[in-house]
Amino acid sequence: MAATRQPSPAKQITPVRIILIAALLLFLYHNLIHNLGVFPEEWNLGLREPLDMFKKWVIVANRDGHWMFALFFQPLKGSIDFFMRRIEDFMYWLPWTVIIAFVFFLANKIGDLKLALLTAFSLLMMGLLGLWDESMRTLALMVTSVIIALAIGLPLGVWAAHNDRVETMLRPVLDAMQTMPAFVYLIPVVLFFGIARVPSVIATIIYAIPPVVRLTNLGIRRVSEESIEAARSFGSTPRQIMLKVQIPQAMPSIMTGVNQTIMMALSIVVIAALIGGGGLGDVVLKSLRRLQVGSALEAGLAIVFMAVLLDRLSFAFSQIEHVSVKKHQGFRLLPRKWGGKSWAKAIERPITWVYAMSGRLEKKVVHLFSRLLPKQDENINSAGYFITMALGLLLLLGISFALSWVEFPENWDLSLSKPVDTAVKWAQVNLYQIGDTFIGTGPFSDFVSLYMLRPLRLLLLEWLAWPIIILLISALAWKAANWKLAVYSALSMLFIGWLGLWEASMDTLSQVLVAVLISVLIGVPLGVWSARNDSAEQFLRPILDFLQTIPTFVYLVPVIMLFNLGRVPGIMASVMYAIAPTVRLTNLGIRQVDEAAVEASVSFGATTWQTLRNVQLPLSLPSIMMGVNQTIMMVLAMVIIAGLVGAAGLGFSVIDAMQNNKMGASIEAGLAIVLMAIVLDRITQSWAQKQADAANIT
Amino acid sequence: MNKPKISFRNVWKVFGPTPEHIIETVKPETAVSDILAKTGHVVAVRDVSFDVYEGEVFCVMGLSGSGKSTLVRCLSRLIEPTAGKIIVNGDNVVEMSEEELRDLRRHKMSMVFQRFGLFSHRRVIENIAYGLEIQGVEREERIKHSYEILEKVGLHGWDQHYPHELSGGMQQRVGLARALAVDPEILLCDEPFSALDPLIRRDMQNELLRLQRDLQKTMVFITHDFLEALKLGDRIAIMKDGEVVQIGTPEDIVANPINDYVHEFTKDVPRVKVLTARTVMKPVTHKEELIGRAVAIDTTLEKLIPLTADTDDAILVMDGEDNVIGEVNRKRVMMALATIQKKEV
Ligand SMILES: Nc1ncnc2c1ncn2[C@@H]1O[C@H](COP(=O)(O)OP(=O)(O)O)[C@@H](O)[C@H]1O
Ligand SMILES: [Mg+2]
Repeated sequence: MAATRQPSPAKQITPVRIILIAALLLFLYHNLIHNLGVFPEEWNLGLREPLDMFKKWVIVANRDGHWMFALFFQPLKGSIDFFMRRIEDFMYWLPWTVIIAFVFFLANKIGDLKLALLTAFSLLMMGLLGLWDESMRTLALMVTSVIIALAIGLPLGVWAAHNDRVETMLRPVLDAMQTMPAFVYLIPVVLFFGIARVPSVIATIIYAIPPVVRLTNLGIRRVSEESIEAARSFGSTPRQIMLKVQIPQAMPSIMTGVNQTIMMALSIVVIAALIGGGGLGDVVLKSLRRLQVGSALEAGLAIVFMAVLLDRLSFAFSQIEHVSVKKHQGFRLLPRKWGGKSWAKAIERPITWVYAMSGRLEKKVVHLFSRLLPKQDENINSAGYFITMALGLLLLLGISFALSWVEFPENWDLSLSKPVDTAVKWAQVNLYQIGDTFIGTGPFSDFVSLYMLRPLRLLLLEWLAWPIIILLISALAWKAANWKLAVYSALSMLFIGWLGLWEASMDTLSQVLVAVLISVLIGVPLGVWSARNDSAEQFLRPILDFLQTIPTFVYLVPVIMLFNLGRVPGIMASVMYAIAPTVRLTNLGIRQVDEAAVEASVSFGATTWQTLRNVQLPLSLPSIMMGVNQTIMMVLAMVIIAGLVGAAGLGFSVIDAMQNNKMGASIEAGLAIVLMAIVLDRITQSWAQKQADAANIT
Repeated sequence: MNKPKISFRNVWKVFGPTPEHIIETVKPETAVSDILAKTGHVVAVRDVSFDVYEGEVFCVMGLSGSGKSTLVRCLSRLIEPTAGKIIVNGDNVVEMSEEELRDLRRHKMSMVFQRFGLFSHRRVIENIAYGLEIQGVEREERIKHSYEILEKVGLHGWDQHYPHELSGGMQQRVGLARALAVDPEILLCDEPFSALDPLIRRDMQNELLRLQRDLQKTMVFITHDFLEALKLGDRIAIMKDGEVVQIGTPEDIVANPINDYVHEFTKDVPRVKVLTARTVMKPVTHKEELIGRAVAIDTTLEKLIPLTADTDDAILVMDGEDNVIGEVNRKRVMMALATIQKKEV
């Protein structure tokens, strides 16, 4: 064997070590000899002045009919506005009965009766909460944005699938777009279009486009070579191949993209209340400002119902299978396990009966109309269903107008706000501290601020002066990836300083770190638990799904109920929103650990705990890191939202500046968040990648 | 035989950055692997010429990677040949415009694929109707016609199912039906039965023979299974490293394998079932002895053995018009078997 010299790692001089030593020397100098002070103010780039000037220029140019506005922005604004108003008017004109019935029948067709009931119930709840009009307004905004996003995104995806150069050009753009927090999209749009509903539509379109482009491209590229070749061999034109083979075969993937686009659109449409988007988000925002938790909760619930409705419905589209005979499974409202119980039977029997009757009725009606259709049409059932549905809806429309059931009845009111407000008062008094113990929201909140946030902030702002932090971050970047990322990270951090936002950024960073820490502390054990226990996984999955479906904004409502205002509620909202990927990927990582490795460990007599610590956790580390990376990105996406409940730092700067009409300052803070997000994303992702590579090599 | 339906003339296909250059410079004796090592070009089809006659089943047989799929795809230009001429019905396919080519694919030839290549989002009947749909046939008419084909390939009652709900053998029936629905003059099959279980494969081979008796298509049938080629092919071309090394009837090839490569395939063939009086006979020696027992020219060795076993006399061989064209005796039959023995040792 050739004796390769292995320099002992301790003696090796690496650039990372040099940087770390420099940081250490600086640290000693800073703390023992001479304070390095804060980030020099005279280095401030003063970006906000030109930005504010630009904003003024936009206003003037707009008024004076500068060609750019007269020929481009105004017509764009005008046509989107026109389009949206038509949709909105239509939805206001439609009686609520017809809307609910339409969604019910549609869901029943593409999904099953359970889905139909769920969606109808969601809509009904929006009405019962007294928020029908606001919900329709949000829905109109959604429909407008999603239609335009799809109209742009689908062709773009198709184009990318057919042209490698387009794909390579689009990919980094799409990646960057998905790294940025939703809110960041609102800022430049506001700059050009001011505060109103159209800019929220535009921001929504831009934010929500990436998934549909990505998944259309991916879906088309994954269509099997052989079926395309078969199509060519029959003399299909490229266009025929596209329309008859590629797009239909890619449909599940495309619909998954549409589902994601819809959900992203919803999350931003709600936030867009901040720039005058109106609708449900507006109700939440106004109530939060007035600290009327009850009505905030109502609007929050309506948003959750909207999210569930849109998610389940569009997900069902992506799950449509090509099966000749839909298996009739009957209908089960309750879990199978409860089937034996007599009370469960009593509930399910009438439902089963109605289901069977309606099925029979449907068949009769379809049969009636099938005579109108061309013979031997294999889609006869679908066509029949939709014709039946259309006629039924028309009938209902007539009845509704005749009986003037147009507006959602006002006296059908579930009003939650009063009892909730009472409950919140009760909670604030009684949950603050339970008896003389240290259990309660108060002590918890104090613990987080006193023992986690404050020391961390002190560390970042006082003990470590800014040059030390920059050195440490670049050392981290170098270790995770290479010198390029180190330089890039250092420059990004410097830039944050140049923006004059060093302190606010460190404040935000400390909150982000605490939120991530709490997420990991809770999320990893939960992940381990669900990896070791199937029923735990089954229990957690719907909860995690649910947490990821809800638009970020809504998380503010419960935390404000429990923690009032400040940094802690912001952190708790971030944890709720961002914990899911850590749990999921820990679970996945551990479940994917090679069984042989586990068996080997057990055969050596390792205890469960030893096996977990020495085999399963290390082997699933790449997956866990991936989860943590996603969690970090989601926490960062919450920074601005957390600013709404008074979590100081960059998020608060954005909100505050925006509300005081200081565009420049708002953009600066937004930029700082984006820079921080990119740096953290790159470092953690490279790190996860390195772990994964190392795991694959060995 | 009648006139050629398809003619390959010096057809090449080279994969790589400068394929034309390779064809000009490569020497005939250079091995394909050397070309790949030296130039990075894959010579998939190498100077191939042969004719396929109307109504015959022409099998192309060779090991995996010998260029069969590439060759058959050159025929409909699913892969562009690098050089050579491919004449179909008197027209050179290589020079056809996009339009003419599309017309050729729509009306003259259709193809069956190894992994079926069915459209998973379409029902069986819509899969079968695909070719007609592309031709622009009205919906009602193409569906009606597709039902007729569906019956022909024995898929009655499966019309409304999706491909993934069918077994492999049934899926390939759909593939076959889809190809036959456009009533093509030429049927191209690229290892259509290779992905099937042996028993199903035999069913499908018999099915194809049965259909071919009615339809009398010109068929180019690719396979890597020599026995399949023997069973289905009127003639067989054997490919190696992109070249056709031998063309002949199954009997020709089994009786006279041209080299070790071909002999390797013929080794395990039950010759008594393949060789016939045609191969074993010799010219008639004594004209005056033209009486005695006679057999038809395509009588297999299997049947000749008991006939010659108990007599030293020659047995006459007759063609279709009852003319005596040769004779066989025990010695010749045994020699035919002995030849086999000799070669195998
Ligand atoms: N698109 C391609 N690019 C490069 N080489 C190819 C390509 N397609 C086929 N080949 C090569 O051409 C040779 C013949 O392939 P193929 O015609 O598929 O053989 P067969 O069908 O007999 O198994 C193989 O060596 C294969 O690797
Ligand atoms: Mg092949």
